[in-house]
Amino acid sequence: MDWLEEELKRALPRQEPAPGFAARVASRRSASVVPVRRWLAVAASVVVLAGGGVGYRWHQGIQAKEQVMTAVRIAGSKLNQVQSHVREVGR
Amino acid sequence: MKPAGKLLCCVVAAAALLAAQQFQFNLDHLAAKAKETVDISLSSAMLQFAAKFMDGNDPEEAQVKKLLNGITGIYVKSYEFKNDGAWAPADLDRVRNQLHAPQWARIIVVTSKEDGENAEVYVRSENQKMTGLAILVSEAKELTVVNIVGSIDLNSLADLGGHFGIPKIETPLPKK
Repeated sequence: MDWLEEELKRALPRQEPAPGFAARVASRRSASVVPVRRWLAVAASVVVLAGGGVGYRWHQGIQAKEQVMTAVRIAGSKLNQVQSHVREVGR
Repeated sequence: MKPAGKLLCCVVAAAALLAAQQFQFNLDHLAAKAKETVDISLSSAMLQFAAKFMDGNDPEEAQVKKLLNGITGIYVKSYEFKNDGAWAPADLDRVRNQLHAPQWARIIVVTSKEDGENAEVYVRSENQKMTGLAILVSEAKELTVVNIVGSIDLNSLADLGGHFGIPKIETPLPKK
């Protein structure tokens, strides 16, 4: 063993970790996992909300279209009534 | 909200509605008596929004989409009653009185004593351009008022003859 190794052994002797060291490491590891899960949950919520928004917008559009079709049908049928009366008079 | 605030809101809302609609219907009190009520108010924004959802491959929807070009509002109130006399002639007079010259011109009047059906079609024009249409149809148990706002192309409307029972209107447009 050369002198350098001896010097290093003296300078850096083996030391036992402080009590609770393993538990602290484990808790920090789990703490670092939670934010990832949290972000994933937030991202999933955003996706769901955005999807819901698009769905709701689509539903509103279909409703608006149905209203337009109903309005045009009513206006058209009333005009049709008027024209059929005019035709009857013209005969 | 304070009463003055409520009143202001009502006035602003009514003014906004009237700005879009070309005349007031004043028929809401009939809804309570009606067996069936259809109340449709479609502003320009709503028509544009609805047009985006119309299927160009569907012939009917394509025709309506084409008709919507130039239309900035459609307002319909239609009431069907269980019994005769649920509506008064004064209800219709209040609407009719707003449709006067020079802007409005009555182009068709139909009075049927046989089935008690009366119908009137009015056209609104500005600078010799059609800017609106009003249809008033009344029967013993039914009352319908329609206001279509915008430059209505009668040829497009005529193209819709046969669809939804929309007739081909053979009404001459004012000469430019």
